[in-house]
Amino acid sequence: MFSILNKYRAVFLVGLQSNLVYRMNFAVRGFFSFFHLIVVFILWSAAYTGNREIGGFNFGQTFTYFVALIIVQFMIGAFNEDYQISEEIRNGLINQFLLKPVNYFAYRFSIYASARLVTGLLILIPVIVTYPLLKDYLTVPADWWRLALGFPALLMSAVIQFGIAYCFGLMSFWFLEIQGLVVLSMALESLLGGQIFPLDLLPAWLFRVSQFLPYYYQMYFPVAIFTGRLSDPSAIMVGLGIQAGWMLIILAIGQFLWQRGLRLHTAVGG
Amino acid sequence: MTFLHYLRIWLTSARYSIMRTLMFRGDFFVWALVELFWMTVNILMVSVIYEHTKSVAGWSKYEMLLLVGTSLLIQRFLMGFFWSSIFEMGRNIRSGNFDFYLAQPGNVMFMATTRKLDPDSLVNSLVALSVVIYSAHQLNLQPSFLAIGCYALLVVAGIVIHYSMLVLCISFAFWFTSAQGIEGSYFTLSEFSRLPREAFKGLANIVFVWALPMVIVSNAPAQMLLHGFKPSLLAWVLGIATGWFAVTVFVFNRGLRRYSSASS
Repeated sequence: MFSILNKYRAVFLVGLQSNLVYRMNFAVRGFFSFFHLIVVFILWSAAYTGNREIGGFNFGQTFTYFVALIIVQFMIGAFNEDYQISEEIRNGLINQFLLKPVNYFAYRFSIYASARLVTGLLILIPVIVTYPLLKDYLTVPADWWRLALGFPALLMSAVIQFGIAYCFGLMSFWFLEIQGLVVLSMALESLLGGQIFPLDLLPAWLFRVSQFLPYYYQMYFPVAIFTGRLSDPSAIMVGLGIQAGWMLIILAIGQFLWQRGLRLHTAVGG
Repeated sequence: MTFLHYLRIWLTSARYSIMRTLMFRGDFFVWALVELFWMTVNILMVSVIYEHTKSVAGWSKYEMLLLVGTSLLIQRFLMGFFWSSIFEMGRNIRSGNFDFYLAQPGNVMFMATTRKLDPDSLVNSLVALSVVIYSAHQLNLQPSFLAIGCYALLVVAGIVIHYSMLVLCISFAFWFTSAQGIEGSYFTLSEFSRLPREAFKGLANIVFVWALPMVIVSNAPAQMLLHGFKPSLLAWVLGIATGWFAVTVFVFNRGLRRYSSASS
């Protein structure tokens, strides 16, 4: 048991190092996220002029939502995992895993976890630096139960995020080029995951429908718990149940695609 | 004569790009869908915000849609006519493949930035144009021929400005060999072009409206259509288009002198 854990611990540590090497890449991305935050600030403060509340929330609450969204994105978002997996399949690099006692999902998940640990910690630097500018507009609810329910939601969101990317990556067993599919699903994810606007601003029936889709649990759900957009603990408990369901479904699909895909896979060369 | 010469070169490249697209029809379909979907996301955002408020910085829902449509239109044209070529330019400078363009019968900047068309973006420019026309119809606008002509001229000026900014950024690859992250930065900055100019206040107004042109690029044509012909606005935009283009040509040529191909 411990030897198995040790194996993935080594992968995790290697992932940690390689992510620290690419910190410059991260700095550029982090920098532009804050440009995005300026767009959000300008747009929403203009929308709030003359309205004390939009959808039952004041400007501070909505802006806090968008700030939290960026932080959570760097903590759990799957950025290019699908692309990396696709490349490993196309270049035949996965062949080595087929010969060794390494579970490919666990291997990729360890790398993903180490990468998010690095970016999740690094994003705190710009947040702390800009905090004096941001603090007047941030309203964070101080209910302790939010942490108790928010963290499990965040963890499951991470698995869903990675799981979806993993499934898309495995599509490379069938298609030569998955970049188009990935960008298409990215658009869908940002819309239905609540990255373009808080989902609760949708018409009530659409909001209800979105709660049964996996995208809702990818990003919006944990962020809304932490920032106070969801406030009914019993409804959140139901949400956690649906989220757990989606997590299992996505993991099962990943496993299914892996097994089916391997049957098609041809390892060439030596 | 020179104009005809370049037109012929361009038409040949265009023919090649269209033939390529016909070879990879599935690809064309997926990417056209991708762009269509991203445009829809932008339009949905406007609709959702206006579910909850009547005006944003003094712009009503359809005025805002007209602005977003205009911004998307300019972006589609840029992507359709230049994006792939400009984006590849950065990689070619790094890899040394840029040599290929130096040996071609024409101005290097023209040859390197107009080689590939993206028909999927050009198809979607029709969708963006429909958004503009639909919004104008909802607003009961009856623009004069002069206003429509100015709108078209301002859209072209907008494309020139976007083109210049992109080529300028990529030209830095002549010095730093790496122009990574330009793609992301362009899309982030283009987000600003979908906001009404009146929403920018204080420092943001100075930086994004006066110093950098992305806000005015989309606001000027939209305003021209909404509020009629305004010579000062036209002069301003044509002025910055000329200015940015001149700077870009200068920097590009300076960079070109430094280009020493690549060692392998």
